[in-house]
Amino acid sequence: MTKAGWFSLPVLLGGLVLAFGWHIAVGAKTVPLHVVLEALVAYDQSNFDHVVVTDLRLPRAFYAVLVGAALAVAGALMQGVTRNPLAEPGVLGLLTGASLVVVMAVGYFRLVDPAFIPFLAALGATVTAALVWGIAAAAPGGSTPLTLVLAGAAITGFLAAFISLAHLLDQESFDRLRVWLTGTLAGRSTDVLIWALPWLIGGLVLALLLAPQVTALAMGDETAVGLGVDVARVKLLAMLSVISLTAAAVAIAGPMAFVGLVIPHVARILVGADYRAIVPVSAVLGAVYLLVVDIAARMVLAPIEVSTGIVTALLGAPFFVWLVRARL
Amino acid sequence: MSVLVLSPWNGRISMRLHRHALVVAALLLVALIGVSVASLMSGSYPLSLLGVWSTLAGNPPEEIARTVVWEFRFPRTVVSAIAGALFGLSGAILQYVTRNPLADPSLVGVSQGAGLAVVSAIVLFPEMNLFWRPLLAFAGALAVAALIQSIAMQRTGGATMRFILTGIGVAAFIAAITNAMLTYGDIDQAHAALGWLAGSIHAVGRPEVWSLTLCLAILTPGLIWSARYLSALRLGPEVSIGLGVPIRSARIGMITLSVALAAFAVAAVGPLGFVGLVAPHLARRLAHSGVGQHLLLTALTGALMVGLADFVGRIAFAPVQIPAGILTAILGVPVFLLLILKTQSTRQL
Repeated sequence: MTKAGWFSLPVLLGGLVLAFGWHIAVGAKTVPLHVVLEALVAYDQSNFDHVVVTDLRLPRAFYAVLVGAALAVAGALMQGVTRNPLAEPGVLGLLTGASLVVVMAVGYFRLVDPAFIPFLAALGATVTAALVWGIAAAAPGGSTPLTLVLAGAAITGFLAAFISLAHLLDQESFDRLRVWLTGTLAGRSTDVLIWALPWLIGGLVLALLLAPQVTALAMGDETAVGLGVDVARVKLLAMLSVISLTAAAVAIAGPMAFVGLVIPHVARILVGADYRAIVPVSAVLGAVYLLVVDIAARMVLAPIEVSTGIVTALLGAPFFVWLVRARL
Repeated sequence: MSVLVLSPWNGRISMRLHRHALVVAALLLVALIGVSVASLMSGSYPLSLLGVWSTLAGNPPEEIARTVVWEFRFPRTVVSAIAGALFGLSGAILQYVTRNPLADPSLVGVSQGAGLAVVSAIVLFPEMNLFWRPLLAFAGALAVAALIQSIAMQRTGGATMRFILTGIGVAAFIAAITNAMLTYGDIDQAHAALGWLAGSIHAVGRPEVWSLTLCLAILTPGLIWSARYLSALRLGPEVSIGLGVPIRSARIGMITLSVALAAFAVAAVGPLGFVGLVAPHLARRLAHSGVGQHLLLTALTGALMVGLADFVGRIAFAPVQIPAGILTAILGVPVFLLLILKTQSTRQL
């Protein structure tokens, strides 16, 4: 790992701990930090603050960390492998595809068992990825940033129409999924987390293992071949990691757009072009980012809580526009 | 190809009309009337063709037929046709001016801008008069169009690719604000806004019929006047300057016109996606013609598309009504993807 990477990781981890504590402390009822610590170290069931911290706030903070890390790493891999600064699970439609399959399965086939959810999300993400890449590759000029984003936007619109259709045809069973569909960290059950965790860890480990080859790929296919990288195999494995991370994130929190777009660019500014540093730094940065975003989502319009996914879109979309201006 | 040349008033006005395009226009009109009549006939209170005719003529078979046709089905049919025509025209003008086959008011955020303005009004000022809605939508759409233009133009004179990508980003941003607005708002108002946002035509009544007819009446002269500028602008800035077109003001005027068309349609029926994209291309495939006739064909195609989408959405899953916006998206996206695959210009963008 580069020097910058070694220096920034401890700082970022410190930031993560701080953001985590802050996230738990704020909310409808502010819990002082020392009480948060107390709740973690010496849990007292009769203390209301302790119950709030362990039962409500702590799980939510964990979800934020996991989802943020997963989406950021997925975005970093996609950007590296496709050499496309705009690549991201949300922009290219993977999040919508995963959501559609989950919505259909839960709504029509009553597959409510949390063990199935990550599988379904992975299925949706895989099919969507294949579609978007297939279309972009078949377009004249190949998969340029423009064709990829256009194909992604079109497929997203198409699948979103089906989600609305499903919702209209069966209001009752889909009303439960409505908030989930805007991307939220509130009120998720821990069962889903347990089943999503293997997908998440598998994807992260795969991403870390692939990082050196992705660095080579980011310099161009020819360069990568010259450096002895099996391009097709690395691309396939990277896609596998992206899909597994996306599936875990969608299963936990629904479609959370633009997290995977913003973070890898910031990571690249911090630690340079080496994916051995970008992948872990993106993971930590993504976690911090989503913690802070979630704090904002709970605080800005308090007592009303905005969906976290709405806030990530509000922050990410201008960044997307800026990227289009600056990089293309 | 046979061309009809008309020069009335001593040649002060002259037109070159392609006969094939005229035939296609007539066929489209017949199809539109067919869909409209079918839409008037069907529903939970079915009417025969004769019943529709006599109701429209003023002597309904039953009193309830008068209410059903005049209060519910007729406004809905007329509004969907006019809104479709407006969306189609808006897309066609945008495509001519930006010289980009993929330009569409709903793709680049113009429709979403209009949508945000109206949703804000529904949520924040629920008592507001319907009269203000189109104007608000226009203001919102114009602001977004100006924003995209200024962002995309700042470097190397507004390349078309940057225009579209910027539009997609801006559209996502506005959609997020709209969503936040819906969370913030009261649940009843949010629900009303949500139905409208899906592109639903079922809530329209007489006021929308009047406002859209008025819009069409006001904007049509602008369109006829604009055809000559469009035919120059589509050939590129160098040729346009050579032909003596003041390109800067012509471009701004045309984009404003396109935004106005989309905004008024959005104000009435919500942001219907992909009509502005697909209708101009379909019209071009149906008949080869000049700009003026192409605009006419586009208007008819758009009207037919939305009329059909509304009719199918109303009947297919009855009693559940599928908003026309969902159907236009499901139909429009495959066409959009075909365009991406076929358009040589994606390489040039």
